[in-house]
Amino acid sequence: MIPRILRAGRPAVLVGGALLALAGCAADAPLDTLKPQGPISRSIDSLSDPIFIIAGIVFVIIFGASGLIWWKFRDDHSTDEFPTQIHGNFRAEIAWTIGPAVLMAAIGVFTLFGHFELNGEDRHDIVLNVDDVSISWDPEILVVGQQWWWEFRYYFDGLDGVDLSDPRHLPPADIVTANQMVIPTGSEIGLSITSRDVIHSFWIPALNGKRDAVPRRISPWKIEADVPGFYFGQCTEFCGLSHARMQMQAVAVTPVDFQAWVDEQMQPAAEPTDAAAQRGLAVFEGQCTRCHVVNGVNDPGKGADLVANAAPNLTHLMSRTTFAGGIFGLYEPDGSLNRTQLEAWLRNAPAEKPAYAEGRRGMPAMGLSEGQIDDVVAYLQTLGARPDMEVIAATEVHP
Amino acid sequence: MSDTIELAAPGRPLGVYTRPRGNTGWRDWITTVDHKKIGILYGATAMFFFGIGGLEALLIRLQLATPDGTVLGADTYNRVFTMHGVTMVFLVIMPLAAAFANYLLPLQIGARDVAFPRLNALSYWVFLAGGLFLNMSWLLGDSPDGGWFAYAPNTGAVFSPGHGMDYYVLGLQIMGIASLVSAMNLIVTVLNMRAPGMTLFKMPVMTWMILVVQFLLLFAVPVITVALFLLMFDRNYGANFFNPEMGADPLLWQHLFWIFGHPEVYILILPSFGIISEVIPTFSRKPLFGYPFMVFSGIAIGFMGWGVWAHHMFVSGIGPISVAAFSISTMFIAVPTGVKILNWLATMWGGKIKFTVAMLFAFGVVSMFTIGGLSGVTHSVAPADTQQTDTYYIVAHFHYVIFGGSLLGIFAGFYFWWPKVFGHLLSEKLGKWNFWLMIIGFNMTFGPMHILGLQGMSRRIDSYSPGFGFEFWNMFASIGSFIIALGVLMFVINVVTSARRARHEPPVGPDPWDARSLEWFTPNPTPVHNFDELIQVDSLDEFWHRKYAEDENGRVVRVASAEEVCQDGSATDVHLPSPSYWPVVMAAGFPFVGFGLIYTLWVCIPGALLILMAIYGWIFEPTDDPDGPHGHPADGSSDHDGAQAPSEAAGETVEEAPVG
Amino acid sequence: MADAAAVDHGHGTGTGLSNNKLLMWVFLGSECLLFGGLISTYLIYRSRYADGPAPGDIFDIPFTSVSSFILLMSSLTMVLSLSALQRGDIRNNRVWLLATALLGSLFIGGQVYEFTTFLREGLGYTTSPFSSAFFTLTGFHGIHVSLGIVMLVSLIISSFRGTLTKERSETVEIVGLYWHFVDVVWIFIFTVIYLVPSPTS
Repeated sequence: MIPRILRAGRPAVLVGGALLALAGCAADAPLDTLKPQGPISRSIDSLSDPIFIIAGIVFVIIFGASGLIWWKFRDDHSTDEFPTQIHGNFRAEIAWTIGPAVLMAAIGVFTLFGHFELNGEDRHDIVLNVDDVSISWDPEILVVGQQWWWEFRYYFDGLDGVDLSDPRHLPPADIVTANQMVIPTGSEIGLSITSRDVIHSFWIPALNGKRDAVPRRISPWKIEADVPGFYFGQCTEFCGLSHARMQMQAVAVTPVDFQAWVDEQMQPAAEPTDAAAQRGLAVFEGQCTRCHVVNGVNDPGKGADLVANAAPNLTHLMSRTTFAGGIFGLYEPDGSLNRTQLEAWLRNAPAEKPAYAEGRRGMPAMGLSEGQIDDVVAYLQTLGARPDMEVIAATEVHP
Repeated sequence: MSDTIELAAPGRPLGVYTRPRGNTGWRDWITTVDHKKIGILYGATAMFFFGIGGLEALLIRLQLATPDGTVLGADTYNRVFTMHGVTMVFLVIMPLAAAFANYLLPLQIGARDVAFPRLNALSYWVFLAGGLFLNMSWLLGDSPDGGWFAYAPNTGAVFSPGHGMDYYVLGLQIMGIASLVSAMNLIVTVLNMRAPGMTLFKMPVMTWMILVVQFLLLFAVPVITVALFLLMFDRNYGANFFNPEMGADPLLWQHLFWIFGHPEVYILILPSFGIISEVIPTFSRKPLFGYPFMVFSGIAIGFMGWGVWAHHMFVSGIGPISVAAFSISTMFIAVPTGVKILNWLATMWGGKIKFTVAMLFAFGVVSMFTIGGLSGVTHSVAPADTQQTDTYYIVAHFHYVIFGGSLLGIFAGFYFWWPKVFGHLLSEKLGKWNFWLMIIGFNMTFGPMHILGLQGMSRRIDSYSPGFGFEFWNMFASIGSFIIALGVLMFVINVVTSARRARHEPPVGPDPWDARSLEWFTPNPTPVHNFDELIQVDSLDEFWHRKYAEDENGRVVRVASAEEVCQDGSATDVHLPSPSYWPVVMAAGFPFVGFGLIYTLWVCIPGALLILMAIYGWIFEPTDDPDGPHGHPADGSSDHDGAQAPSEAAGETVEEAPVG
Repeated sequence: MADAAAVDHGHGTGTGLSNNKLLMWVFLGSECLLFGGLISTYLIYRSRYADGPAPGDIFDIPFTSVSSFILLMSSLTMVLSLSALQRGDIRNNRVWLLATALLGSLFIGGQVYEFTTFLREGLGYTTSPFSSAFFTLTGFHGIHVSLGIVMLVSLIISSFRGTLTKERSETVEIVGLYWHFVDVVWIFIFTVIYLVPSPTS
């Protein structure tokens, strides 16, 4: 009985579904692939939109024909006679072989144009002031994936002369940051993507499609943002236990702000002055420096006691708004430190984010006392400056 | 294999081992070499695994129904989605296709069995051994967690130190043996054992599609065999095939996997295309539109399927030229696929369609597969694919293809051939519940995944945070998945109640659907010897043409009733191959070898002994048991030209196949 | 049993080949892809020898050429054994079967010698992607040859038991198909590994 009702209501169900689909797309989705925020993603979008339309038209034709068949050619039991027995039609076959082939060829031509444009390079040097010297930087950032976070390395002399053959032992970079990649707006930024362990995939949907990070391979890619903003990303190649918790953001700022960010990041960490922070530094040097680097505290080239031989560089931790692979906000909505989460992380990281700490993949539980945790938090707060309030608000993804 | 000679030595009885007798009870099911029983075994086993895979699917949907899901931990989730994929591909769709191939292929070509009945039994038991072995990993606490695609180096010894991926490697390796043996067997069967007069172009499209699939398996299985060996050598013996530290390239795995994996997609879908190419003409009461084009497009898909594998790797960094080439080749595989869809529509067009449940499912395939095909075209556009790949958009796409295409087609086959296999119909009423619940649940589950994917939801994530806009559609999809489960439940209820009802009702008769192809010459259910006498084939849809002719005005007139055309299954003098113990014994050895390779090599010894014993027994068991069922020597009258002999007296001698 | 003989010679089957022979052909088709995969893997990795010996440093081409020649000769003896049996010449059939098995064994012996030499010279299975690919490819081929030898020995045994008669010559033919295939594959492997100029460190 119900099937009969549904049968009659089928087109309504389809239309309803389509409307719901449109409604769904309107929801606020920071990873939306259909809202390009830069010229590269826009060219992808302008290529895929017509394809969606073509697919939609074919869909309507096929489903229209199916609907007609459904209504018109069902057996009404009016006669026992067989319908006309048609075995085929050569012309029709040729037509619906050549027709789709021509359509595909047309799509193919546009695809190839779009594809080679996407894989082309159109970078222009950016003039920067680095250590009070004006340089022109070929804007290219080294992107390194590892379980389960992203590292971004800036080499202001360009990547050409840098030995990238072993991502686990990279030459020191001018700026090393984690999970939040800062880029100037209005410029195409080249990316060289690689991995220190398994395959990951770098993806900021608002700025470009994705590109895998494959160990021992350097994959070229690029992003560009029109306007300042925060563009969310997510690792999209299954990379083991915490694949879901490997997120990142591109932080696009104006060229002026970018210069300011560079100036700030080039500074080594300042000596802590307050007593708790000083005690925290002692704990940090005893425990955390086995993996983490703070410029000015330990040697950036020494590597980490981990399979990937690297842990996030914390020199300017506080200038970022997330930690632990971009999954936790470092600040509360009111701009104060997200102390609860940070302390929980220091207390027992694997409980907050699944990891194989015993297999030296991911941050282990450090076994710190509550007092030590307070001290370390005090010390971490001295590392870098808190960003502006609107920055904190914009990166908030956990209401 | 050379020892076949002993066997075939004229007049030299080898009574060392007797062959099992009797065809009742469980012993019969274990020792049977009857392609029909093996087909049923394949189907029942696959449905059992379908239950497991479906349960895994429901767990996935429960976990993802709400943000920050806590139903499964990350670790368990990874194992569940890995096993869901592996199960549905290798333990459900492939064996369901094998069930149809085994049961129907010999019938559709008018043969009494496959070319090598014992090898056929071996295929089934090895498949079962592999499937159980793989699922044992749940009980032994360490199931695969690297995804069904198992990308190295995440699946290597460093990053997957447990035994999970060993189960994956060895389980697939064992099932690969089953697929390969079965493929070789069916190819020989089709090429050598067709009924007199049945040229290749008088074979049903379903037989054609199964033949194409067997060729795909024949060439694809060795490729994944290589990949699995390399991964196994890496994991267990320290080889360096996928170890980047030693300069290896992890993309090698991806190439090998997808050179297998893409033809695999067609291995999954073509049997369903074959099934609905039988169902649609029958219920439209018209011949299949453009038969030669249907055949050629199937073959074309089979060929082109080898040239598109790297479209799974558009973002892996294989270089712009390769991406461009594979992008174009992928687009053009849409052409033969489109030809098929349009031909099905043209078959229905102008017909007088009886919307039985089988037809509903077939209709569902045409429309749902169209959606899957169209989304496929959108990601053949490589730049667009950089946004779509590894998101839920892809999950939506391939579920429309594999669920909407393969599985619905298989359900069409269930309803269509149930009377052929079990001698009674499934309830149409419950069947409609089954269909509508499934199709609605299916669209509710996978339709929204297009949106989720375009909204940026990645695949294989065990949870998502609130704030990305994923909440609504995930909950929607999870509800849909339970509606699918309800639909499947309807099917189970239908199977049970229809069987009960059938006890009190008269048998279904020979031709419930007014069908077209050779299998309907036999009574329902098919008697153990299939055909009373072999059929001289003069045209495509021979069965239909014996029932109907066209008068001078081109109108179809009935010339014979189904009862007159069908055989009554009363022949008693047909000589059939005797059952055998050795296929199941040999298959039982493989899991031991697997456990041995995982845990301690000593366990391999009983496995190897079982296999060797089975080979020995296989070779030395008597070619035939004169007292077996239907054990009267063939009088030769039914096989005029000897073409059919393999399925009869000589079936067993010929069967002594080179199995190494 | 007369039926069996008829089918064995493929009378009246769809292809004109017996089921057994067709099965072997189909199986060999599958084997092509197996070796295709392994050969491709080797080609990709031949220059990735890490810190271990490079292929060009370690191969002893004259030695392997001789063992390749031995294997190729075994194809000739295989043909001779079949034609002897087809003539009904049981004695010569046995002789040539034995010769084929011996030549095959000689080839395997050569491979064992080569492997142990390489091991001594520092090319272990785990040394580099090159070494893993080399040993896997040649090892798989070696296993195939060894299985062929087992088949040949079984043929010889059954010949002595009086069951390998002229009527059953197809069995020898089928084993021969396998044997020739393994030889032909070796021609490819030998070319790819040894004849194409190898990188040296």
